[in-house]
Amino acid sequence: MQSESTKNTTDYYKHLSLFWTDIIHLMASKPQALSSIGPMRAFASNSKKISTELIEINDSLMEFNQYLTEYYKQLADTWSVAQKKTNLKVPEVPQDVEQIEAFKRIWIDIFDNDYTELFDSEKFGENYGKLVSKELELTKHWNNITNVILQSVNLPSKEEIDEVYKEMHSLKKRVSKLELELKKQEVKKNAK
Amino acid sequence: MQSESRIDPKIVEEILKFSKNVINAPKLVSAPDEISLEVTPYDIVQQIDKTKLMHYRPLTEKQHKTPLLISYALINRYHILDIQPEKSWVRNLLLQGFDVYMLDWGTPTSMDKYLDFDDYVNGYLDSSVEHIKNESSTEKISLQGYCTGGTIATTYAALHPESVKNYIATAPVIDGWRDTTVISNLAKHMDVDKMVDTIGNMPPEFMYYCFSVLKPFEQGIEKYVKFFKNIDNKKFVDNFLRVEKWLGDTPPIPGELFKQWIKDIYQKNLLIQNKMYVGGEHINLKKIKMPIFTQIAVGDHLVSPECSMPLHYAVGSEDKTLRMYPTGHVGMIASSLSQKKVLPELGQWLAERS
Repeated sequence: MQSESTKNTTDYYKHLSLFWTDIIHLMASKPQALSSIGPMRAFASNSKKISTELIEINDSLMEFNQYLTEYYKQLADTWSVAQKKTNLKVPEVPQDVEQIEAFKRIWIDIFDNDYTELFDSEKFGENYGKLVSKELELTKHWNNITNVILQSVNLPSKEEIDEVYKEMHSLKKRVSKLELELKKQEVKKNAK
Repeated sequence: MQSESRIDPKIVEEILKFSKNVINAPKLVSAPDEISLEVTPYDIVQQIDKTKLMHYRPLTEKQHKTPLLISYALINRYHILDIQPEKSWVRNLLLQGFDVYMLDWGTPTSMDKYLDFDDYVNGYLDSSVEHIKNESSTEKISLQGYCTGGTIATTYAALHPESVKNYIATAPVIDGWRDTTVISNLAKHMDVDKMVDTIGNMPPEFMYYCFSVLKPFEQGIEKYVKFFKNIDNKKFVDNFLRVEKWLGDTPPIPGELFKQWIKDIYQKNLLIQNKMYVGGEHINLKKIKMPIFTQIAVGDHLVSPECSMPLHYAVGSEDKTLRMYPTGHVGMIASSLSQKKVLPELGQWLAERS
């Protein structure tokens, strides 16, 4: 979705920013090591990771905005077509309660049909999938930044906690399979 | 020139009445949070992790020999099958003399993100079946699967046919490629790996979005207008609030389970092609040879009839029945039609085989 010139400009600024971050980080790391201790030292050495994530967030955000614009455009276009259909079907302004009720029914039916058609369409599904995907990328960058901060204060990162969950899941699975096996054997034994 | 105003006085009257109803609503009805959705009494007979196996207390002196276990969907909670006494699926079956159990999947947390199909099918569901078999001293049970619970129950029936005497598939999610619903369209374009990797479990907020795109104007506007118009109708209001509370209460779905479900059912469509694996075991629908009763709602906009129906033709059973009802996904299990037609037909079929 991104045009070539925008991409080149982004790449240029990304490179420029990374270059200076790297250089400054290298230049500053030794005096920093002397002046910072403990958690602050860890945070200082991780600052490069944070700036990289921030640059990449910018990239994802641009693409996210493009898909979000397309999402609202699809909704607005459908609204406009549905409203035109309603106007054609009910050209007169409703005058009494019965007419208002009939108008409402027609309006709801046309709008529900048109929007369901949109949500069922390939173009909506594809754009929505990409929109959610970009949203997830933004979340991932934020998670990465949080992980750097957590590690700088000696707390486990999301990945490390996930490893614990995975290990617990695997252990629980093994234990419950063994328990079930034991139970089945016990039932067989009692039956004899 | 003077313009002539032609506003019908009835319109003004309607607007005033509607405004009065909106103002009086909090005085007349309970807040959804104050409503308890528990209707039919039950005992919790087994608890594993966050799941609970519920055994409903009998309502008849004599009961059919084979107990029935209901595997509810992964979306929303089991309460819809027992939403109020006169529309309760569970209560109706109890009154027909069945011994009813239900498996509540509970509320998964971040810790449960690695729970997968294998845990649900060969873990929780199998443990429940074993428990019921021991408790009722039977070799086999009857199993019912509703919606996504139908996908889980179908894989269970294929993997453990020796434990299932009768299988009832109620609007099961089976053939993802034939599903013509909006949910299926969103699922087909979803980067589910990235979703699970980034946020773990499938969050309830995403489920709300999926529901809100279904008939957005009827469900998002008209439904609430009707609610305020009928604020004096106690029965209508009570039913409305119960269903609303049920709709708003959906637990997250464990990440790995969600991933396999979306990929294997909606994206690759493996189940109906007999290419799906659960816990390393191959699922062959031809291995389902027990009597099977498939229930389909013609107006289902959550699981389209084309998605459920192929199960009837794919199984290896000789004794198989397919019933189609002129209603929707929820109407099939919690409506006057379900009480008058769906449940009596199911009860008769099941009684003959229990």
